[in-house]
Amino acid sequence: MSDGALQGTTVIELGHMVSAPYCAKLFADYGADVIKVEPPDGDIARRWGPFPGDQPHPEKSGLFFFLNTNKRGVTLDVTRTTGRDALLQLVRRADVLIENHRPREMREWGLDYASLSQANPDLVMISITPYGQTGPYSEWNGYDLNAFHLSAAGHRYCGRPGEPPLEHGTFAADFYGAVTAAAWGLAAVYGRRRAGGGQHVDVCCAEAIAATFVGGQNIGGYAQDGVFERRTGIGMPLGAPATILPCKDGHVWMLALEPGQWNGLARVMGNPEWTQLEMFQDMYVRAQNRDAIYPLIEQWTMEHGKWEIMEQCQANGCPVTAVFTVAEAAEHPHLRERGYIVDLEHSELGRIRDIGAPFKLPASPGGPRRPAPLLGEHNAEVYGTLLGLSTEDLARLRRDGVV
Amino acid sequence: MPTALPLQGVRVANFGWVWAGPVVGQTLGFLGAEVYKIESRARIDLTRMLPPFGEGVRDPDRSLSNHACWAGNGSVTLNLKKPEGQALARQLIATCDVVVENFGPGVMESLHLGYEDLRAVKPDVIMFSMPAAGLDGPLKDVRTYGLSLTSMTGLDSVTGYRGGPPVPVENAFSDPYNGIMGAFAILVALTYRDRTGTGQHVDYSQQEAVMQMVGPAFMDYAINGRIAGPIGNCHPLGVAAPHGVFPCAGEDRWISIAVLSEEEWQGLVAAMENPAWAQAPDFASPPARVRNIDGLHNRVAAWTRGFDDRDLARLLQHHGVAAAPVSNVADLLHDPHFRARGTFVEVQHPLGFRETIYGAYVKTSRTEVSVRTGPRIGQDNDFVFKELLGIPEERYRRLVQEQVIY
Repeated sequence: MSDGALQGTTVIELGHMVSAPYCAKLFADYGADVIKVEPPDGDIARRWGPFPGDQPHPEKSGLFFFLNTNKRGVTLDVTRTTGRDALLQLVRRADVLIENHRPREMREWGLDYASLSQANPDLVMISITPYGQTGPYSEWNGYDLNAFHLSAAGHRYCGRPGEPPLEHGTFAADFYGAVTAAAWGLAAVYGRRRAGGGQHVDVCCAEAIAATFVGGQNIGGYAQDGVFERRTGIGMPLGAPATILPCKDGHVWMLALEPGQWNGLARVMGNPEWTQLEMFQDMYVRAQNRDAIYPLIEQWTMEHGKWEIMEQCQANGCPVTAVFTVAEAAEHPHLRERGYIVDLEHSELGRIRDIGAPFKLPASPGGPRRPAPLLGEHNAEVYGTLLGLSTEDLARLRRDGVV
Repeated sequence: MPTALPLQGVRVANFGWVWAGPVVGQTLGFLGAEVYKIESRARIDLTRMLPPFGEGVRDPDRSLSNHACWAGNGSVTLNLKKPEGQALARQLIATCDVVVENFGPGVMESLHLGYEDLRAVKPDVIMFSMPAAGLDGPLKDVRTYGLSLTSMTGLDSVTGYRGGPPVPVENAFSDPYNGIMGAFAILVALTYRDRTGTGQHVDYSQQEAVMQMVGPAFMDYAINGRIAGPIGNCHPLGVAAPHGVFPCAGEDRWISIAVLSEEEWQGLVAAMENPAWAQAPDFASPPARVRNIDGLHNRVAAWTRGFDDRDLARLLQHHGVAAAPVSNVADLLHDPHFRARGTFVEVQHPLGFRETIYGAYVKTSRTEVSVRTGPRIGQDNDFVFKELLGIPEERYRRLVQEQVIY
């Protein structure tokens, strides 16, 4: 399908919403042949938007588009025997299957790892769910939000005391689980001969964040000393300045911890007298006096724009950055110059801007090249050419509502 | 049947420091790669000095958070300010498949460890560079911390209470995220190398990798020109209500509830024992519930407030509702789910103390993942310099004495 690094790797995606589709997109962006299998009424993300003018249309969801570039798309009702059989035929030709259904559903459909590995012992099956395949919550209903907060990431690190813990304003747990699954899953494919065959890779989105983000920084101390910390609403409670502050036209991430950084900030502010006060000479002491220092800095930031603040602070060795709005990120000259934002043509959406490759591989470039598939766009190609079904067989499956 | 780890035979020199770079090595190490972090006592990594310390003894080999985040990396010490240290680094790299670094652009070149230097000793080397904003472009030299890097992606601008200002995330979510995504990037490059014989220099911009998470809001801007602000715990596409975190009995106890389907709504109503307000036209359909989400959330919160978070999660799950306790740090160690999955493990550190780190946070049915303790500074010096590079004892002693191996 392409000349990318993963050319020759065939992936079947039985995914919906965000986690499995994004994981499969990572494979597709770098050259794998990804066949996305949707139920006859399509991936739920097709109904989530954002839609042009907020008018729902199954072929015009921006989220679906973003998550499914470079894939071929087929429809199949895997809950019916004929549908299951067709899926198993696809699986026999595949290296990887990526899915994000509840474990019980996969068992009921006869598509659990035991069944799939029987059809193809070399298959790497990647399951990405909020709670994972084992453990007391594995059969619970759950979404991104539930997984994120089960990880303690919000309770520990985001939100004001006394108010609800917060998630980042996106599908943070789904993305985190998807990336984790891509790394561990591709390792299983890469080392398949060494490891002795295929295997089941079980990613629990909550666990990935609980371990590598929250646990990494906190669990050793808690296990040893029995004390733990929680969110403060301030960027870095132990050092200052280290938080988001408002400015004339938005917000800046204000950071000046080391002496050189603090002196740089003072210089940019015109060395006001208060910066020389004893109570502001060390990042820890400044943090203890945060009620005094933040209003003083804010007085200055409110008189200046975010880009001016960022540029001058950076030039003075102080790592302050503007808090980019989504529009500012999308239009930033740096990302434009690096070719991060790409344009694609889609038969229903027209010309559309998309986020490009997550990383650059000069010898084997990746990133979105083809738009997300229309619902069932590649049915004839995949079932006819790949599986060798006759026109009559395919017509029969269509009549029965399986395809 | 062979039971080797999938990445056995892959050797990595990891110049990564602080958090993101070490996690790249850790991820590959869990899966069998032989990873050597290259560090120096001449400039001890600041995360080695983060408290708390094993048994309270302040020492760069005893930082508990550092160990959890670095476990799986080996360690060799080289003073890269000295030309002989750089030459030894190149000698080690000649035996490696992958080189990882997360300095700013140009730093490796200044140490004579740039891609061209590495290619000269290992033609098919995969060099993986992960600066904040990539290897080129107007912002390439931008200075950020892990916790503020997200400000350049749009992610911070949508994080906070709905209608309020951005609320900072108080640690570098993007560091382990980039560490794990970085391991994926390296595996893509290894796959390409094995097929074609060609290595490459991977340009991994942390800004670009993290901005992928902003995809949903980016598309609304691309399609409708709309600029999102903080959304609280609401569904990123605004299609679900209730969708939030609600108070429970006890200090700082909460539950997350996400209602996407009509069935789930009916389940929630049944769990609440069919309150009259739930039948009001304001809450009768998904669009009505989304429109009146604040009023809806207030009513749900009034109901959840009296419940124990775990009891309530079980009750709601019994009614088919996606609900889960909001963990705090202590819960991670005690929660029956994480215990059953063996998420955290207590290990004996070679220096004699017990420490709790995370183990295989992904379960693999065939591969038994390699879990190691945090590396002592220079723990692999003997093996790497004497056996791998064949340096005679006498020269080795001199290099240690002259603080080249240091």
